[in-house]
Amino acid sequence: MKSHIKLLIVLLLPLFILSCKKNDPIEIVSKDYQNAVDKVTDIMVHDIFSPPVASRIYAYPNITAYEIIAQNNPSYLSLTGQIKHLTPIPKTNNPNVNFPLAALIAHIDVSKSVIFSEELMEHYRDSLYRIWQNKNEDVFMASKEYGLQVSEHIKNWMDGDNYKQTRTMPKFTVITEDPSRWQPTPPSYMDGIEPHWNKIRPFVLDSASQFKPIPPPAFSLEKESDFYKELDEVYTISERITKEGDASEEVKIARFWDCNPYVSVTRGHLMFATKKITPGAHWMGIAEIACKNTESSFEDTVYAYTKTSIALFDGFISCWDEKYRSNLIRPETLINQHIDENWKPILQTPPFPEYSSGHSVVSGASATVLTEIFGDNFKFLDDTELPYGLPVRSFSSFNAAAQEAAISRMYGGIHYRAAVENGINQGIQVGNLVNERLKMKVD
Amino acid sequence: MKNLGYLQSTTKYCFIIGFVLLLGSCQKKEQTLFELLPPIKSGVTFQNNLTETDSLNILDYLYFYNGGGVAMGDINNDGLPDLYFSSNQEKNKLYLNKGNLTFEDISKTATIEGNSSWNTGSIMVDVNGDGWLDIYVLAVVGINGFEGHNELFINNKDNTFSEKSKAYGLDFKCYGTSAAFLDFDLDGDMDLYILNHAVHTEESFGRAQIRNIRNEKTGDKLLRNDGNSFTDISEEAGIFGGINGYGLGISVADFNQDGYPDIYVGNDFHEDDYFYLNNGNGTFTESLRNYFGHTSRFSMGNDVADINHDGWPDLITLDMLPEDDGVIKSSEGDDMYQTLKMRTEQYGYHYQYTRNMLFVSQPEAPYLETALQSGVAATDWSWSALFGDYNQDGKQDLFISNGIPKRPNNLDFIKYVSNEEIQNKINTSRLVDQKALELMPSGKVSNYFFKGEGSLQFKDVSKNWGSGLPSISGASAVGDLDNDGDLDIVTNNINEPASIYINSTHEKASYIKLQFQYKDKNPQGFGTKVIAYHKGILQYKELYTARGFQASSQPIIHFGFGAEKTIDSLKVIWPDQTQQTLKNVSLNQLLTITPENTIPYAYQRNKSKKRFKKVEDNLGINYTHKEDNHTDFNYQKLIPYEVSDRGPGVAIGDMNRDGKEDIFLGGAKNQKSVIYSQIVGGFQLRDTPNLAKDSIHEEVTACYLTLDGNSQFINLVGNGGNQISPNIKVLQNKLITETNDTIFVEPSLDSTYYNTSIIKAMHLEMDPINTINPIFIGNYTAPMDFGKIVPSYIFGNNPKLQELNNLGMVTDALWDDFNGDGQTDLIVIGEWMQPRFYELKNHTWIESFPLKEKLNGLWQTIIPFDIDRDGDNDYLLGNWGLNSKFKASSTFPMRMYYADFDENGSTETVLAIEKNGKYYPLLGLDELAGQMVFLRKKFTNYREFAGKTMEEIFGEKLQKATLFELQTLASGFLRNNQGKFTFEAFPNILQISPIKAFVAFDFNDDGKKEVLAGGNYFGVIPFHGRFDSFPGALISSENEITLGSNLGLDFTQKSIRHLKIIRLDHKPYLLVIYNNEKAEVYEITH
Repeated sequence: MKSHIKLLIVLLLPLFILSCKKNDPIEIVSKDYQNAVDKVTDIMVHDIFSPPVASRIYAYPNITAYEIIAQNNPSYLSLTGQIKHLTPIPKTNNPNVNFPLAALIAHIDVSKSVIFSEELMEHYRDSLYRIWQNKNEDVFMASKEYGLQVSEHIKNWMDGDNYKQTRTMPKFTVITEDPSRWQPTPPSYMDGIEPHWNKIRPFVLDSASQFKPIPPPAFSLEKESDFYKELDEVYTISERITKEGDASEEVKIARFWDCNPYVSVTRGHLMFATKKITPGAHWMGIAEIACKNTESSFEDTVYAYTKTSIALFDGFISCWDEKYRSNLIRPETLINQHIDENWKPILQTPPFPEYSSGHSVVSGASATVLTEIFGDNFKFLDDTELPYGLPVRSFSSFNAAAQEAAISRMYGGIHYRAAVENGINQGIQVGNLVNERLKMKVD
Repeated sequence: MKNLGYLQSTTKYCFIIGFVLLLGSCQKKEQTLFELLPPIKSGVTFQNNLTETDSLNILDYLYFYNGGGVAMGDINNDGLPDLYFSSNQEKNKLYLNKGNLTFEDISKTATIEGNSSWNTGSIMVDVNGDGWLDIYVLAVVGINGFEGHNELFINNKDNTFSEKSKAYGLDFKCYGTSAAFLDFDLDGDMDLYILNHAVHTEESFGRAQIRNIRNEKTGDKLLRNDGNSFTDISEEAGIFGGINGYGLGISVADFNQDGYPDIYVGNDFHEDDYFYLNNGNGTFTESLRNYFGHTSRFSMGNDVADINHDGWPDLITLDMLPEDDGVIKSSEGDDMYQTLKMRTEQYGYHYQYTRNMLFVSQPEAPYLETALQSGVAATDWSWSALFGDYNQDGKQDLFISNGIPKRPNNLDFIKYVSNEEIQNKINTSRLVDQKALELMPSGKVSNYFFKGEGSLQFKDVSKNWGSGLPSISGASAVGDLDNDGDLDIVTNNINEPASIYINSTHEKASYIKLQFQYKDKNPQGFGTKVIAYHKGILQYKELYTARGFQASSQPIIHFGFGAEKTIDSLKVIWPDQTQQTLKNVSLNQLLTITPENTIPYAYQRNKSKKRFKKVEDNLGINYTHKEDNHTDFNYQKLIPYEVSDRGPGVAIGDMNRDGKEDIFLGGAKNQKSVIYSQIVGGFQLRDTPNLAKDSIHEEVTACYLTLDGNSQFINLVGNGGNQISPNIKVLQNKLITETNDTIFVEPSLDSTYYNTSIIKAMHLEMDPINTINPIFIGNYTAPMDFGKIVPSYIFGNNPKLQELNNLGMVTDALWDDFNGDGQTDLIVIGEWMQPRFYELKNHTWIESFPLKEKLNGLWQTIIPFDIDRDGDNDYLLGNWGLNSKFKASSTFPMRMYYADFDENGSTETVLAIEKNGKYYPLLGLDELAGQMVFLRKKFTNYREFAGKTMEEIFGEKLQKATLFELQTLASGFLRNNQGKFTFEAFPNILQISPIKAFVAFDFNDDGKKEVLAGGNYFGVIPFHGRFDSFPGALISSENEITLGSNLGLDFTQKSIRHLKIIRLDHKPYLLVIYNNEKAEVYEITH
């Protein structure tokens, strides 16, 4: 009897041990990456980041993930030497490293360092860590170790982009004697945000002013001047479509592309904010839709996100360089002063100078890059804004979406025509440069 | 959800505190000055119940939480004041006082319950002059489906009332807040000012001028009593009625003491308050800017009393600044610097700041504003202020009611919590639901009691006098409910029974209570003034009942007299400008006064000749210092005050060798400096092309010297301004010399690029050959690096140069023999440092230490003066003053940490003050994180940051920082005890603003010198307000100080840099140099 029991124990023991340490494969798919980026978007909405800062928060984590992929997969070329000051990431010989997993872990870690509410990111990360650990501890630990190593490398590089230094640089000085100069706008009259964003190190641009647009029409309040005509156009369109109300296609377009991360609302002493995603986040959303529709691999997803976020990042630098060069006054200020004291734009005027239109520039840049990746005439349904109570819109191509995003700013009453038209061209040039300069995918 | 949990635990906490307090009071029986009379005893069960619905709440109606009204008065003439309460949404109530603090609810039989949907202020007044109090109740009508109209309940003299608003023409359907009855035209009957509020939630400021366009719903109204009806004369009388008049507070008083009642209206939000001075011809002139340098921003209730025994009515206006660090730092605060600038300069509004203001009247001059130094600036979300001598010690005390069901300005709610809840709801229905409202923290707090301590000081005695129980108290009224002689207080509370505070002072101190039987249509004698005299002290009161907020108080006048048994006299000045004096008045009684043996009372302008008189043509000195648009706060966002506004420099001396004094005046950045040459009868601008070419510099200090007897002169000019454009060389000091009638500019011998602050030569005559004539060049900071200490220098003959490395942020210096050894010594003062003393020994300046204690201050100016008249020189020192949010003491010095906290290569300064033994940053998370992003990661919401100490916020980084400390902010003097010095603070009246300049001169020709002090300062962020109300003061001796407003000086709303005596044809004049203002010349009359 006794020996039988002993035998049984000896036979069963390895089974126990085996069941303690699982050896399942950890499969990381495109959806996992999309979820991680979506998480970053959610936290950004909570924390409230201005559009240029938001573009930075997307870019560095994506580049981190991409570099890990490029390390392991010959179809993708490292960005080292292609974007400024990026040095080769550490290599690994550990056979247990699952590169997609390491890429995802590194993405989460870099994201955590650039958003504010770390505990929200940690909560998300830890729930994933538990799953991976349970599946295959060896692979998980090896991938994590490598991912964090790369993350540190990227963070060091990131620290040299002048972001920290620009925090202490001077505020925009309001000079109300100059009638053409930008002034803070209702309701919060916030100081101009990120007046030194052109000092942030770009990825691809030679300089912030590389695609300096032609100047806006010369400021003039003479009725016959080009400037005044554009001012009057904003007012006239706004009055017409406001009358048409919710049925107006233009109003729908304006609202769809609002992408204002912080719309402040005041009712007497009661104040609150309605928060949405930024223009950058919207285009990351379109990249996600494109990846889904094409059933892109994990690697291709990382590639598409990375390239789009690089275009966004440089687009904002290019745009902000012009904004604080021309320092142009917003239509709301001028219309209130000279045309209609009680006029309010359909969208809340964001707190920075008018020219050129940020959404136009980054939409132009993003659409150009996405067209190169996924091809022109790429039809898609854009449901990015669904969580914010906005409908789905359909587009025949990325460029068509970008054109609509650009003109939406005029319908919204926050930009003149020149900022929209010159802005989208400015963005297309940024996008073309990114396409030209960056050799990423080997076909 | 997290936030909800927090709220629940706070509520619980409050509950426990309340419970403990209740227990404590039961066990110990420790008697507070006031006891709350429970409803079960009094029978007053009224409570203003608010019912929030999805369609009616704080989102739909911005004043949903403002509460109802309360009125106290004797409606049945039985000698006992009765109580009327208006309820916002339910029935109004009238309680008949039955004596012994019991009340009977006669609301139904009296038919005063009202028919309006939303009732607000309630006022008792004898509108028809029949000797019986009527009741006027305001209503909000025409929004949110509110119906009804203002109601006027006429007393039927049998404890019933009849609503007759229509018959009197007072049935307005506006957005009413409150009303005040007054006889503004002195025709003997009661006219009416109706205070309405805007509901307009337009989010842009709009131009201030829209107040000129009358809106019938929101505009205030002035109604003249024409016998049986009222006529709206608002427009012709000059009353604003715009869509932006958020009227919440009203006080009536004869503010300018000319016999005609004036009106102060407090407006919420960005609209200015209105100060209507009665022209005596049926019209008013709104005169806010002439008398008030700044006001409360979210002005709520206000009240009037003479707090300093000078016979002039003083004023408090309420706002919503909390006292608790945790609440301050989680609530929306003041404007940003540039926003306020736009609001004032571009949109035309006056300076407004988020705190209570205490305005102390000056005869025929602007008010002093002393709320911060008086201790009454921060009482949280405050509604009603009621002055009264609650402890009957002869000094006015102060009651302030406060509280709000939900704090809608909570930053976490605004930024983080509100989003999903509100957004979803608004998108679908444009309404906020209960769930979203619940996410705002409660603002239920305890009311404040302040004890008047004299010298403009009030002491918070809320715990000793009040219940300490949190409540949401709004409208309040004061009177003597139990006829024991002292003042009781009633408040209308939201969702809780009204509070009745019964005072128990009468046994301990003397009082007198006065009521009037005045003429026919004004039987209560509204507008009657009484001056009580005892032992050389006067107390002044004027009878108006619409006081506090949405309320009217008992129509009596009450004085306390402490331990006095008798008083000298009572002077009664009747509204018809007659007077009578009562002598041998016994105290501790109710006295009813009727006009008897009156004689005319003549209101007189003070025609007596003043010491100073502004010279009409300024003697030809047409110089206006004009700062450029530069703001240091745009560059070094956390510095405590500006650096670039220290100019202009001024030097006086003979600059054209004609034996007469000329004047050099520095320019601001991009403004040329100028020389005014003395000619016959005045001064003339000299043509100086080389100075004009040199406008890139900002000349902040200047020193006149002569060379070789009289052959040549030099102005040694110190440059500052903190700007380094086009390059740092603009900060190099320079010499201005004359050769052959031409002025030349050349760089000075000291080739440093600092913000120079002071240049002082020991003697004005330079003798290059003989004795030492050293010059001190004091430097303030390195440009754009506040907190970086730079060296100062003494240029002498032997040694040529002495560098003083560790002085600090120098502002002024003085060559004077402080130790009486016959040698001229040097005293240097500055900010974040103590006065430093240097003696000349063996050709070197050696520091000596004659101060008895550590005395770091924000020292601005120093002058020798024998203030104690003991024969030696004391030193008067100008400091920041005590009327400020800065706080410093020897035990708990104010701290400033200087370091590169975020390790990005540029430095920051963080200010910290002590509260309850711990140090907290002065500024909030947005300001600090705007510079140091790591704080955003450390504190992802405001709740976590609020109430955190410096150590908790910055941790180890503090150890690496340079620490600056301040022991005192008071201006004062160093008393000379045989070369040793002890510091003594000036009286409070000299602590209202920073003192920036002194000048000693025998102004009154009595053979002795006096010192004239001037100040005020605006280089601070809106968080601090504006130090604009110090009128200057003449200091004759320790105890003889006369404010400039009594001497003909007008230094208010301007920031002084220099006071100088100039002689024109041997006659002395006072030259006043301001920053960013036109220089002024005063004649000194004898």
